[in-house]
Amino acid sequence: MNWMAKARPSNTATTPGSSAKAPASAAAAARSRAPEKPGPTASVAPAGNVRISNALKEFLWLLSDVPRARILDLGPVWQSTVTFFIEKGYRVSSEDMLREWKDFLTTEEERLRMAPVGEEVERRSLPALAEKFIDTALNYPENSVHGVLIWDLLDYFDPAVVPALMNRLYNMLHPGGTVLALFHSRPAERFHRYRILDGQTVELLSAPTLAVHAHVFQNREILDLFGKFRSSKTFVGRDQVREALFIK
Amino acid sequence: MWHKNDGKPSPEVPQPPVGGTTKSQVMPPETPAALTVEPAPIAPTPAPRVTIPEPVVATAPAVNGASRIQAGLKIHGEISGNSDLYIDGELQGKIRLGGARVVIGPNGKVQADIDAGAVTIEGSVQGNIKASESVRLGAGSRVQGSVVTPRIGIDDGARLRGKVEMVKAGSTPSASTAAAAAARATETEAPRPIAASAKAE
Repeated sequence: MNWMAKARPSNTATTPGSSAKAPASAAAAARSRAPEKPGPTASVAPAGNVRISNALKEFLWLLSDVPRARILDLGPVWQSTVTFFIEKGYRVSSEDMLREWKDFLTTEEERLRMAPVGEEVERRSLPALAEKFIDTALNYPENSVHGVLIWDLLDYFDPAVVPALMNRLYNMLHPGGTVLALFHSRPAERFHRYRILDGQTVELLSAPTLAVHAHVFQNREILDLFGKFRSSKTFVGRDQVREALFIK
Repeated sequence: MWHKNDGKPSPEVPQPPVGGTTKSQVMPPETPAALTVEPAPIAPTPAPRVTIPEPVVATAPAVNGASRIQAGLKIHGEISGNSDLYIDGELQGKIRLGGARVVIGPNGKVQADIDAGAVTIEGSVQGNIKASESVRLGAGSRVQGSVVTPRIGIDDGARLRGKVEMVKAGSTPSASTAAAAAARATETEAPRPIAASAKAE
């Protein structure tokens, strides 16, 4: 499919990348979707913190011609996100990468700690650990995924881990596949999770901090990171969060 | 009302030692008989009721008439039939219960592919889940594997590593998914069930 030859979607959204307050209907929808029984995340998350995402709108438009597209969400699984994609006929996979990475590191530390005294235990470097983790956590065949939602996770991974992750994501992506990523222009004050409310509205849920903000990517670094991708588009919001789309 | 001063000497009440003590530190008098205990007056209006929040206890939805694998039990093997099943223990193998309901309790740990009518998960599952009616992932659930079902409910806090795929309601999971999987294999390479492959190694 020729992604670039597609007709542009009608621009009914607000100014690109604007993080202005969402329409009242979206905020109301966010409130109405707040869980009745608060879960671990919802208990600390004020409902209704939403942003208009033009990158998401574009992401969906790029996928609109792919029947039964496979979406990979690298955040936690949410009912609203799954329902949104399922209703479009897409297939959804979920990998809470940051949490899995933390669990993986904890397990690794435990392995080292519990090793018998005197026994030689292999201590792996961080990039080596990342390779091992990604081999198991992102065990998808090549060219099998049409869209990846990274959200802002790259900001929270150790910079030594990111290249391996990007390499794997690139291999998994179907030619023409799209990646949506967010980058903070300054260290994020709070750790957020993201879920999709509708075609251009994303809800931000404050969550217990899984990791500290590790790195602020500059434009040049972002382009280098996605150097293999053939096309990119960025939207800068008023909150200085950059939304970026990359097409393989 | 609380204190009558009728001229009679009041009974001796032990005084706190010099230096003072907090109320909780005051010891009971050595001679309790020296104290006069009056019945407590009846309050004219009922005191406001203080509701103490109940401690959060992990509970699983009740499944009446279901076979139960209680916490502390470990089972290896295949479970088949058409009876509802509640698992709060550990199970390794396969579960094939046609249109029956399977509930994995908060303490349940299942390493098995599940093929049933409705599946509710509050504990952890490593394996692929096929349900002809619905799948519900509770807030404390941890699932590694694919979920194939016509309806899915995901509570906030649920953890899923794997794919979610919808099939038409009422279709037999085993038959439909096998056909769908075969079709997908030619159409596009679908991601392998991560957990199953990772754990198998």
